[in-house]
Amino acid sequence: MKAQPADPSSGIPKIGPAIRIEGARKLYRGGHLAVSDVSLLVDQGTVHGLLGPNGAGKTTTLKMLLGLVAPTEGTFEILGQPAGPAMSRRLGFLPEQPYFPPLLTASQVMMFYGRLAGMDTAAIRERTSVLLSQVGLEGRGADLVSSFSRGLMQRLGIAQALVSSPELLILDEPASGLDPVGQRDIRNLILAQRELGITVLLSSHQLSEVEAVCDEVTILDSGRVAQRGAIDTLLNITGQNSVTARSSADQLPEKIASIVGDVVVGSGTWVFSIPAHDSRRVVDVLDDDQEWELVSIQPKRESLEDYFSHLVSTRAEGQVSR
Amino acid sequence: MISRIAAIASAVFLDAIRRKVVWVVLLFSAVLAVAIPALPSYGAGVAQAVYREVALALVYAALVAVTLALAANRVPGEIERRTIYNVLARGVPRWEYLVGTWVGIVMTVGIVGLLFAVVAIGVGFVTYGAWMFTLLQGVFAIWLEAGVLAAFCMAVASVAGAVVVSVASVAFLFVTHARAGLFAPDTLGWKLYPSLDTFNIITPVAHGSGVSAGYLGLAVLVFAAWSGILLLISSAVFARRDL
Repeated sequence: MKAQPADPSSGIPKIGPAIRIEGARKLYRGGHLAVSDVSLLVDQGTVHGLLGPNGAGKTTTLKMLLGLVAPTEGTFEILGQPAGPAMSRRLGFLPEQPYFPPLLTASQVMMFYGRLAGMDTAAIRERTSVLLSQVGLEGRGADLVSSFSRGLMQRLGIAQALVSSPELLILDEPASGLDPVGQRDIRNLILAQRELGITVLLSSHQLSEVEAVCDEVTILDSGRVAQRGAIDTLLNITGQNSVTARSSADQLPEKIASIVGDVVVGSGTWVFSIPAHDSRRVVDVLDDDQEWELVSIQPKRESLEDYFSHLVSTRAEGQVSR
Repeated sequence: MISRIAAIASAVFLDAIRRKVVWVVLLFSAVLAVAIPALPSYGAGVAQAVYREVALALVYAALVAVTLALAANRVPGEIERRTIYNVLARGVPRWEYLVGTWVGIVMTVGIVGLLFAVVAIGVGFVTYGAWMFTLLQGVFAIWLEAGVLAAFCMAVASVAGAVVVSVASVAFLFVTHARAGLFAPDTLGWKLYPSLDTFNIITPVAHGSGVSAGYLGLAVLVFAAWSGILLLISSAVFARRDL
C-alpha cells in the first residue's frame, strides 16, 4: 500500500509524503530547548514509528505539527499542504493518556468528536457502533466515561481518533495502560489501518510494538534526529547470518565450529550466527552431516530494543566525551 | 464553524448539567426561596416586594456561584487533563473552542436561572396568590451579567489557573459594581467607568413594575459588547499560548 511516485507520463499527480517536517525547532520561554533540529518524512500508507528516550522531543514535535505549540522555526506539512486547522481536520489524533469529559457517555464522546469533524449524526452513530465494537467497547456506549478504567479510556481514545475515517492517524503511546490482549488488539487495529491505506505516525516507548507494526522509524535524542530508516535496514546486522538447525549432537561440526558465534541450544534446536560470506560452506557442511538438519538461514537481526539502547548509550557517551 | 461551536457548547452543557454543584446550588436556593415568606422583617403591604427582592438576590448569588463553579476551572482543567488536545488537534481554531465553551456555560447558567425563576414565581403564587412574572426580567438581567462574568473567566483562564480565575472574577464583580460609590452620576468618571450596573434591575423589579423592553434591549447590547470584547481578548491571548 505504499504510495509510489507516479510515472510523469501517466498524468497522475505525484503523491507527496503524508507528513513532512523540516528543521523543526522549539525554544520555550525560559530558555528550555525542547527540539533543536528535527526533520521527519512519513510516506503515505506506511506506519512510521517515532522513538526516543524521555525528553527527546517527540511530544513537542507532535504538538508543533498539530498546532498545540508554536514552533520557533521549521516547516510543517500534512498531506502535502502546510499544517493548519484545515489539514488537521483530515487526521485523527490520540494523545498520550487520553482523558474525556467524565460526565459524558462513550457515545456522547464519539458524537462530540464526530461533530467536530463535520460528520452528520446518522454517520457518527453508524461509525460509533462499528468502532466501539472494534476497540472492545461493545455495549459500553451508554456508560459514563467516569466509570472507565485507564485501559478502557485508551480504547475509547483510539475509537474517537478513527471516528472521522481520517487519512492520517497520529497515535501517542496507543498501547499505554492496556493489558496484553488490549495491546494485541491495538496492534491489529493499526495494521488494519495500514491495509486501508491510512498513514499512521506512532510515538511509543514499547519497542516490541513499534518493531511489530512499523515500516520505518525515526529515533530522536536530545531534540535531534539520531537515526532514521526502514526497520529492516536498521536492525539487520551487516555481514552476519543467523542459522537455525536441529541436531541431537552435543557439539557443532568441527569444520564450522571456529566460525560460529552466539550459540544458543535448547531441546535439540541450535541457533547460531555466522559470517555471511561463509553461508555456502556452512550449508554444505550441515547437508553432508547426517546428524544435522538445517532449518533456516537468514540475515541476522538485532531487536529494536537492543538497537535503541545501543544507539542512545553511544550518543550519551559521545556527548560526555565531547 | 457554527457546527463546531455548537458541538463544543452542547458537550460543555451536557457535562455541566450533570455536575452536582449545579443542582446543589439550585436546590439550596429553592429551599431558601420557599423560606423567604417566613422572614421576620416582613411588614404589612411590602411583603411581596421584599419577597421579590430577596428572591432576586438569591438568584444573583446562585448564578454567580454556578458560573464560577463551571467557568473558573473549565479551560485550566481541560489543559491539565489534556482533553483540549483532542479538540484543538482536530483543526478547531482556539477562538471557536473558547466561544463554544462560553456558550455551553451560558446555556447551563440560563437553565439554572430559568428553573429558579419558575420556583420563585410558583412560591410567590402559592404564598401571595399573585403571578410575579416581572421576576423573569430580573432573572434575565442577572443571567446576562453571569454571561459577562463567564466571558471574564475565559479571558483570565487563557493565561492563568483556576484559583487566579476565581479571585480575579470576584474582584471583577466588586470593581464593576463600585461606580456609585466612586463617582457622582453624569460625571465623566461615571460615564467612562467600566460598570455592570446596567444589569442591576432588582429595585424596579422588586418595588416597581419592572423595566421596559427597550431597557432590556439595551442590557442585551451591553452584554454583547462586554462579552465580545472579553472573548476577543481571551482568543487573542490564547492563540499564542503553548499547550
